[in-house]
Amino acid sequence: MIAISIVFFGALVLLFAGLNKEEGRLKTAAAVVLGIAGLAIFAESKNLISTESLFNWVPAGMIAFNPIAQVIAAILVIMAMIVINLMPAVNRKGMDVIGLMMLSACGGLLMIGAQHLVVLFLGIEILSIPLFVLAGSEKDDLFGNEASLKYFLMGAFSTAIFLLGAAFLYGGTGTLYFHEMLLRTSFSEHFGEFPILIKAGLILVSVGLLFKVSAVPFHFWSPDVYEGSPNRIAAFMAIVVKIAGFAAFAQFLASFAPMQNWYATWMMPVSIITVLAGNIVALVQTSYKRMLAYSSISHAGYLLLFLLQPIQENFNILGLYLLSYGLGTAILFYLFDKYAQSTDKSVDIFTGMAQKSKLDAIAMIVATFTVAGIPSTVGFIAKYQLFTSAFNTATWGVLLALVGSAISISYYFKPFRVMFISDSDSTKNQNFGLGDICLVGIVLAIIIMGILPMSLNWIF
Amino acid sequence: MELLVIIPLALALVSALGNNWNRWISLVFSLFGFLILLGNIDSVFASIHGDTSFRTVTDIPWLGDAIHFRLGVDGITGFLLLLTNILIPIIVLSNSTDKRPALIPLVLFMQAGLNGVFMAQDGLLFYLFWELAMIPIYFITLLYSERESFTTTIRFFVYTFIGSLAMLASLIYLGTKSVNGSFAYNDLYNVQLSLTESIWVGAGFLLAFAVKIPLFPFHVWQPNTYTYAPAQGSMLLSGIMLKMGLYGVIRWYFPMASESIDFYQPIIITLAVIGVIYGALIAIRQDDMKRLIAYSSLSHVGLIAAGLFALNSSGFDGGLLQMFVHGINVVGLFVAVDIIERNFGSRNLNELGGIAKNNKLFALLFFLVVIGTVAAPLTNGFPGEFLLLKSIFDFNTTFAVFAGLTIIFCAVYMLRMFQYSMLGTTSDNTENKTIPVLELLPLLFVAFFVISIGLFPQWYLDFFQNSSKGLLNIISNAKGVLS
Repeated sequence: MIAISIVFFGALVLLFAGLNKEEGRLKTAAAVVLGIAGLAIFAESKNLISTESLFNWVPAGMIAFNPIAQVIAAILVIMAMIVINLMPAVNRKGMDVIGLMMLSACGGLLMIGAQHLVVLFLGIEILSIPLFVLAGSEKDDLFGNEASLKYFLMGAFSTAIFLLGAAFLYGGTGTLYFHEMLLRTSFSEHFGEFPILIKAGLILVSVGLLFKVSAVPFHFWSPDVYEGSPNRIAAFMAIVVKIAGFAAFAQFLASFAPMQNWYATWMMPVSIITVLAGNIVALVQTSYKRMLAYSSISHAGYLLLFLLQPIQENFNILGLYLLSYGLGTAILFYLFDKYAQSTDKSVDIFTGMAQKSKLDAIAMIVATFTVAGIPSTVGFIAKYQLFTSAFNTATWGVLLALVGSAISISYYFKPFRVMFISDSDSTKNQNFGLGDICLVGIVLAIIIMGILPMSLNWIF
Repeated sequence: MELLVIIPLALALVSALGNNWNRWISLVFSLFGFLILLGNIDSVFASIHGDTSFRTVTDIPWLGDAIHFRLGVDGITGFLLLLTNILIPIIVLSNSTDKRPALIPLVLFMQAGLNGVFMAQDGLLFYLFWELAMIPIYFITLLYSERESFTTTIRFFVYTFIGSLAMLASLIYLGTKSVNGSFAYNDLYNVQLSLTESIWVGAGFLLAFAVKIPLFPFHVWQPNTYTYAPAQGSMLLSGIMLKMGLYGVIRWYFPMASESIDFYQPIIITLAVIGVIYGALIAIRQDDMKRLIAYSSLSHVGLIAAGLFALNSSGFDGGLLQMFVHGINVVGLFVAVDIIERNFGSRNLNELGGIAKNNKLFALLFFLVVIGTVAAPLTNGFPGEFLLLKSIFDFNTTFAVFAGLTIIFCAVYMLRMFQYSMLGTTSDNTENKTIPVLELLPLLFVAFFVISIGLFPQWYLDFFQNSSKGLLNIISNAKGVLS
């Protein structure tokens, strides 16, 4: 709660205070606000501070964060901070972009805390509506406009499905609180079948959420939207939206644990198709950004495999995976943004990277390794834990996911082909800016968590 | 013993900070592993005095309670550590160009990974080091190949990565079955599998190892990678890296999935013998010396794999000894080819000839390595190959006859290589050029091992013989449980 309030009021203040300021100057302010919010919620998860008494006026049980959800919320806020600060500022008046990104992050936090379908719906909308605008924030870019419109239509469509499902669930159970839904119908277990209304509602709400996390076959919007949006907005969608979506999805499904056998039967094919399609289609992409979009689809597939099990106690694995995925993807988007100056979007933009900047080259290698799940990075620890915990419920899914990981190597490693080519006319980049400091921090975090995973006990 | 992993890793970081270290300084860096091993020689080779167990020497909780940073040693591990830490300095010494600033850090990084693989006593740690050893060799081949080789290196990486992931699946399966989900070597070993389970788990392990060794149909990545990689990369790959696969078979596959041995034994031995003959036949037709050595290596390693799978004591002893010998010899051959290529500008047999005329010492050393590879008596190849052929003979006479052909074939292609490059008339490339004596230094070390193993094989066998007997007992007991 405290984080939601801080981010929300911070966003409002920045939105108005910064109306006429240049964006670059107030990025720091956004970082401070998000940093405070992240620290506050992290401290709360460790019981260092307690702010619950401040929020007595919220109807009981509608928004509640358990400790792990608080950690995931902290990860979300920190990721939003990284995305906002890593990418270079656009030199244009008006803080609307950053203010809107913060508002969207606020919606993400609401989704993580939601224990009630209406709050979840509100969270999704608060997350999405600023993004509809942000996707088209480069007003002169035709693809940006396409992305914005496509994202809006798809978002509206998925919301409608979500709402229909919510109505069915209400009809079937008589409540909108997650944890009460099966309480009232628990007798039905003894008669074998769950009421059709609940089943239909669960499917429809899940489809609405699957749209948000871009699982196959509900993924068609995401490559186009990523490609058309400005780079940092695409990064924001790939990271923050996915964290919020999966945390909410996991919490929602956790309350349907008795139906786990049933929903696994149709979620399993979805997740396997997502893994395979994401990886295979990424293989043939020529645009690096589009490849990242498909890679994020394949990661959604791995995470969906994890959701098939009764997961109440394993939430920390979900958090760790989202953290590692977020850190790696943030670096890859940053480097893409830095090197894609012309219209060329293929991996050739990275030619001579090792000569231009050693730091960038190292960051590229580390980030690629962590998203590919290669040992010595946190990505491996996360992937290993994810697959191990999903192994018993989804053995075949995990085996196919391993195949998918093997496929993913051949597209993730594509930049290495050109990175080390040295061409004489490229000059060394000597500036060491804020982005580089941030980069060093992320790279160190990835490696330290990868080779000393005991340090993770401190976070989770 | 954890120093064997940490020190090379730290030195890799240190050497990455500087640019272009002098080769003597890099040699000092690379010698640390050997010195640490010497310092612990008594505890590592306690098996000489009868303690054959795989003793834990380091145990730190690493990821939760289930996975520990657990290292162990016994004679087999010690023998392979010896090989690794002897070969790495030789490889570093053979690197005479300063145009590869990242090579030394990567080699040291790899040394850490390899030492870790041989010592790992925890399933996940084994996988971790296994992959850690892959990363530097990937970058060595990617950065310093002689031509645009992205396709070759990515093929190499993806092939081995698929194998590794299959092994990871097997390890995870064993882990979920073991007590408290522990990945400790002994806990994984104690998991009881049904025959079907064992066949699947074994398939995962064997895929990883067969790609790495490489066994016959899984060798597709090998010739191109060896040929295009820089000489030091080929040495690392063939000299040490493929021993990881063979080591994995005896240390991990046999004990963990012992129920499936009877199922896989005939398949693997058949494939290995096919590989022996296939590699040799192709090697005879090669003109590119590196490619020739690549195929010869395929042939020799096939013989080792067949001997190990025969599962008798002469097969284990011969296989382990031959792992050491093959490492020494193949590195010697690559060093010689590297010297020839650097000094005479070509490694194509048709463009060489008559080198011996002006380079008597080089010719002598090269010849020693060649007859060592051919397994002539009193050189290092002989005792190991004799034991291996004996073990295959005990298993099946027909296989032994086919595998025995390797000695004849090997003599054909190795002597052909020596003759075309060193003897005969000089060509334009080789006219009146002498090799600086300093460059022969790594070959001198190799020659020392060629002769000393050839004359006194028992010295070397003593290092691990007790341990290998102990391991063989464990395996046959585990097999006996079911059959």
